[in-house]
Amino acid sequence: MKLPPDFSFSQNNLQDFLECPRRFELRYLLRQPWPAIQSQPVVEHEQHLRRGEIFHQMVQQHQIGLPVDKIGAQAYDQTLLGWWEDYLGSMPQPLPEHRLVEHTLQSAHSGYRFIAKFDLIAIQPGEKMIIVDWKTSRRKPPRAILSQRIQTRLYPFLLWKCSGAFDQAISYSPEQIEMIYWFTADPLSPERFKYSQKQAERDGEYLLELVQQVEHHTQTYFPLTSQEQRCSLCVYRSLCNRGITAGNIDDEIDEEVDDDRLDIAFDQIGETEF
Amino acid sequence: MINPLPLMNLPKLSSEQLQAAQAPLNRKIFLQGEPGSGKTTAGLARLAFLLESGIPAEQILILLPQRTLAKPYYDYLTQNPLPPGSLPTIVTLGGLSQRTIQLFWPAISAEAGFARPHQPPLFLTLETAQYYMSKVVEPFLNQGYFEQLVIDRNRLYSQLLDNLNKAALIGFAHTTLGERLKQAWNGQPQHLILFDQAQDCMNAFREYCMANNLLDFSLQIELFIHYLWRSFLVRNYLHTHFHHLIYDNIEEDAPAAHDVIGEWLPVFDSALLIYDQQGGYRVFLGADPQSAASLADFCDEIVEFPPNLICPPTVRQFQSALVKAVQRQLTHEELTPPIKTAFSHLPARFYPEMVDQVCKTIDELVHQKQVAPSEIAVLAPFMSDSLRFSLMSRLEEYQIPARSHRPSRSLYDEPAVRTLITLAKLAHPHWEMPPSREEIRSMLVHCIEDLDLVRADLLMQMGFTAKKQSFPLRPFEEIGEDGRERITYSAGLRYSRLREWLLNYIEQGEEEELDVFFAFLFGEVLSQPGYGFHDHLDDAAVTARVIESIKKFRQVIEPVRSQQPGFSVGMEYLNMVGQGVISALYLPPSEEEDAVLISPAYSFIINNRSVRFQFWLDCGNYGWWERLFQPLTHPYVLSRNWQPGRLWTDADEYETNQQSLIRIIRGLTYRCREHIFLCTSRINERGAEERGALLLAFQGLLRRLHQQGGES
Ligand code: SF4
Repeated sequence: MKLPPDFSFSQNNLQDFLECPRRFELRYLLRQPWPAIQSQPVVEHEQHLRRGEIFHQMVQQHQIGLPVDKIGAQAYDQTLLGWWEDYLGSMPQPLPEHRLVEHTLQSAHSGYRFIAKFDLIAIQPGEKMIIVDWKTSRRKPPRAILSQRIQTRLYPFLLWKCSGAFDQAISYSPEQIEMIYWFTADPLSPERFKYSQKQAERDGEYLLELVQQVEHHTQTYFPLTSQEQRCSLCVYRSLCNRGITAGNIDDEIDEEVDDDRLDIAFDQIGETEF
Repeated sequence: MINPLPLMNLPKLSSEQLQAAQAPLNRKIFLQGEPGSGKTTAGLARLAFLLESGIPAEQILILLPQRTLAKPYYDYLTQNPLPPGSLPTIVTLGGLSQRTIQLFWPAISAEAGFARPHQPPLFLTLETAQYYMSKVVEPFLNQGYFEQLVIDRNRLYSQLLDNLNKAALIGFAHTTLGERLKQAWNGQPQHLILFDQAQDCMNAFREYCMANNLLDFSLQIELFIHYLWRSFLVRNYLHTHFHHLIYDNIEEDAPAAHDVIGEWLPVFDSALLIYDQQGGYRVFLGADPQSAASLADFCDEIVEFPPNLICPPTVRQFQSALVKAVQRQLTHEELTPPIKTAFSHLPARFYPEMVDQVCKTIDELVHQKQVAPSEIAVLAPFMSDSLRFSLMSRLEEYQIPARSHRPSRSLYDEPAVRTLITLAKLAHPHWEMPPSREEIRSMLVHCIEDLDLVRADLLMQMGFTAKKQSFPLRPFEEIGEDGRERITYSAGLRYSRLREWLLNYIEQGEEEELDVFFAFLFGEVLSQPGYGFHDHLDDAAVTARVIESIKKFRQVIEPVRSQQPGFSVGMEYLNMVGQGVISALYLPPSEEEDAVLISPAYSFIINNRSVRFQFWLDCGNYGWWERLFQPLTHPYVLSRNWQPGRLWTDADEYETNQQSLIRIIRGLTYRCREHIFLCTSRINERGAEERGALLLAFQGLLRRLHQQGGES
């Protein structure tokens, strides 16, 4: 099994690789559909994801300047309305004026392509760049876990690598980058991660190490995770003979699916069939 | 010719291509040329040049009339190193409409007249639009509408939707459709009322959509054109977002797209518009090469590429002679001896004989002349399932890989999906759709590993409750010991687990959404070790597709569900499948690339790939010339180029058929790099003799050649 020449590494696929190499192989290399239930209860989970999707869209509409009252009218239930009001009342402030919303960035790093879709990048030219990620998961994960997530390491690193694309005349140091997670579950306590040269170097090495491990497994095989409890929240459990019933959604750390789109980020042609 | 752009992994470029690619960053170019003259390669080179010049990728818009035409751009972006930064946007007008509607919905929904402006829009797919059209039309049918029209219901719905799409893409009010069609009608006067009836249905459908936030393709386009594109906010957003445009195959796009680009062009810093001079194949989908050509007026410069780089002179001569023969203007001067090297005639008396000849010739090419199978295409105006099957199986006998370019295939032809449906019927006795014994037997064979037909039969004989009970599967333990041994205890155990799972579900008394039911059933039973789906990865893939199709259906069904308490989406879905309203078409997994392509001629042309050898099947078929019979719509009357009020005469019909045959001949020959085999059969697939215009033209050409041979 070879890594396809057009393969892009994203926080989603790398996080999957970290959690289970076999899942990475099945999902991203073999692209094997396996339509089992991931976690229960299903319909509530689906509604939660849908709410998250609409919330992200409302934030996007707000960021591009649509009238607040018209956006808010879309909040179709109390939960969503609550999120929206929390956002209006306690979104991270102040943010620089120049905003990039739902923005995809990609860059090669040691010959591998990395890609990420940012909820919001706010830029003060020559001064700072702030990444904001809106999290709609039911619980706010502890900071220690967040700091270990691939997203926390990949996003600032990629933004720094791509910073020349915003204005070729300005160069940014990692110290000018900050990443903020804002939680609907705890709107008053966003988590902020300041970036640094040292961290950027560590992240660059770490990401490279990860993809080299992936390369290594393509030469040998992708092992099943040794932490079997993960399998209860993985659709492939019957394929791997790792159980029958799906686990509970409460055990999931990150319930958002929006980044799944990353792997088809180039395929931006949404069209109704005609 | 050198290639100075380090970013590009493109073939060596001609000076014309380089010139177009490296035009200044404030220049708008209208690039035209024949198919195969290297225009798209110039488009790719332009993209590379823009990126290399430091243009932020997110400022580049690549617009195409349909998704498949995006492939070269998509491949380029995924397979080449790009400068760090964002990505260009590749989109169709439909895609752009959908995205902007989603983003700006709260700003326009009330003004556009939607009854529930605060609720999100529901985007319909072709299938779900067809579903809603069927719901809207049903009461009209009950009133006797379309009684005199012998037409499959689903074709009726699709023609109504097609009309709405045309009105949106061409730019006239959907309320004028019936009148336009009536004014042009030249046949039986009693047909005229059908256009009024069609108009009533289309109006009712649009009203229903407006009342329920349902956006079919036509409404998406209309919203974009009439509201979003007119909104300062949206224009400003699009204008600040995109600065450079590459718009390829503009001749295959509709006037609505041309209008938007015509207005937008002055704002772009640079643009490359690519026009295929012989195109316009998507006329049935509203393509308008004439309005595309008018975009040249908005450009700084018109560049014309020299003739086709692909099609050799002999094939070109053949093209020109055959076109002349279609026009009945073929003269001896058109025919020089080398033309004979461009084509061969494969005559047969019967259809199977023609198929045999084609496959035998392909065998010679592949096994004796070492031609790569991917360099061969077998083409016909329509590709019936039986023709496709006989070609595929004959080629398989010759051990030649083949792939069929059929647009899609129905999920419901897949045994795995039929198995799922049988299980759904068993698990929902209140639907009163009991599966037949045969369906249950096939399901058991498919589901339970090691259960062959004989054992499944045994299980059916012994385990099937004969009486009309709501649940027809008897417990395994009730079967006599002898029978259980023959069935085997391991198969019996699996049977029992499946049975128990179904019974548990029924006892639970609450109907799950059908997609959720399938996902549970798949994960907890069917894909577990010992069951049929465990090792069959393709079955898992089709199951995933069917679940996705049901989920999409469920997500837009709220307007109907909310009106009917106790409404079962699953049952409705299966009913619609049964009636053919939903066919859940899907693209089968990609087949081997180095394979002979079997494809309808139009699809081959639209996909814009060239091959060395082409086989044109059944040249006598009228399908090469005639358009499809569509009693409720008309691709030429519903067009900007049609003068309202004119009658569509037989002369018009003849002329457009002639033109479309000429277009096919050109489209195919431009994509042929070596040789064409014209295959004829005296008796066609249905056992009749057919002498269509392509055959007559070809015979004319052969006669002339023969005369010439005699004279010399
Ligand atoms: S089921 Fe477990 S082992 Fe298998 S892919 Fe999922 S996490 Fe990995």
